[in-house]
Amino acid sequence: MDAPAAFRQQLLGAIPRLRRYARSLVFDTSAADDLVQTALERALAHWHQFDQRRDILVWTLSIAHNAYMDDRRRHARMPMADSNEAQAAIEERHAGDTPDIGLRLDLVAALKQLPLEQREPLLLVTLEQLSYAECAELLRVPVGTVMSRISRARVALRALLDGRVPISAAAQTLRRVV
Amino acid sequence: MNPAPIDDLTLHAWLDGELTPERRAEVEAWLQANPEAAARVRLWAADRELLRTQLAGVLDEPVPAALEQVLWRKGPARGAGFGAGWQRWAGALALFALGGLLGAGLMWRAQPRAPVIAEATEPAWVTRAAVAHAVYVPEVRHPVEVKAQEEHLSRWLTKRLDVPVKLFDLRAQGFELVGGRLLPDAAGPSAQLMYQQIVPAGASGAEARPVRVTVYLRKPDRGTPAAFRYEQQGALGMFYWVEGATAQGGPCGYALVGELPRERLLAMAEAIYKQGETPTR
Repeated sequence: MDAPAAFRQQLLGAIPRLRRYARSLVFDTSAADDLVQTALERALAHWHQFDQRRDILVWTLSIAHNAYMDDRRRHARMPMADSNEAQAAIEERHAGDTPDIGLRLDLVAALKQLPLEQREPLLLVTLEQLSYAECAELLRVPVGTVMSRISRARVALRALLDGRVPISAAAQTLRRVV
Repeated sequence: MNPAPIDDLTLHAWLDGELTPERRAEVEAWLQANPEAAARVRLWAADRELLRTQLAGVLDEPVPAALEQVLWRKGPARGAGFGAGWQRWAGALALFALGGLLGAGLMWRAQPRAPVIAEATEPAWVTRAAVAHAVYVPEVRHPVEVKAQEEHLSRWLTKRLDVPVKLFDLRAQGFELVGGRLLPDAAGPSAQLMYQQIVPAGASGAEARPVRVTVYLRKPDRGTPAAFRYEQQGALGMFYWVEGATAQGGPCGYALVGELPRERLLAMAEAIYKQGETPTR
């Protein structure tokens, strides 16, 4: 049977943040929206499993995470983590001329360089403001693992933004523009 | 005093607000004494702000119509993986078509012996809701038994129905409560709340009577899961559903009836649903 309208309304409210999270996972806007769509469809199909005492966002984020992992398993190699692609994105965006371009590129490029297992907990905690416990439950890893991954992610991100780990020649050039 | 050592994990936990107040105070004192570590934490905090500001733009983008449509699509969601390109669309289309065929077939076959959940909808009481609507809505002098202004309306109906009867506020949807009445139903008493469209002060009174909608409430026959259904009978639209037991009381069946477009009724049904979740005012 169909999900109640009120539930659909709750999902509607979660879409902007789901989109943001998906975007930070796969970067490409349309691929991210595809992921959101999959997550929404799954949420609708399993709406009766949702416990109304829980936060719908955490629930749907975990669905999005699972959908993403499924997809990655399907395509054993993840194109988004490809640094060549990151490089291409850098150059493409460089052509676009937005005012904060240098900053933005550095961050996105740096994020792309982070291994997924570090990137996800970092984003869930800093961006989506989940607690360590929620994050651990969502990723199905112990809290201690979440903590150490966040720690490593922050240190790595800082190093990348600092230019201590060369992202790419293009990124270096861009940094000078800023 | 000799507090536990403060390592990097502790500093991250501090930044993420994961520490107890006591431990937080310890870390803050320690950071004061360790400017080098404090500088490091500040950079992490700056990176966090950068992440938040850089990715905040997505939140302001309007929700793409395609995503919104997913939510209001009828029938089973396909719940498949995501991919790219025409194959996905072709697959989706094929699934959709197949789903439609399957759905039609199932509907055809399932009609006489309703599935477990469909039992919750008990068309009989929904029909009574529609009849009660048709009977009382045209009433000019006695549309309701107890007017909205009377304080005991909610208490009285709650007591008689043995389910929490809330006087839902539909003013945001342009309707105000007229009042309510007690009605007979097969399982015991039911209640009807009547709402009337708020007519702007400047509007001329010579026009047709304001639109009225009714909310029909009753104790469901048994503990049934929430179902949210829409039915159209001529110009009359009906949303009906059953809400499970809450902290405020037992389960309750609702039917919202009115001669209004589906979307407007839906907005009201949602408002009622939402208000049903919050504690009684």
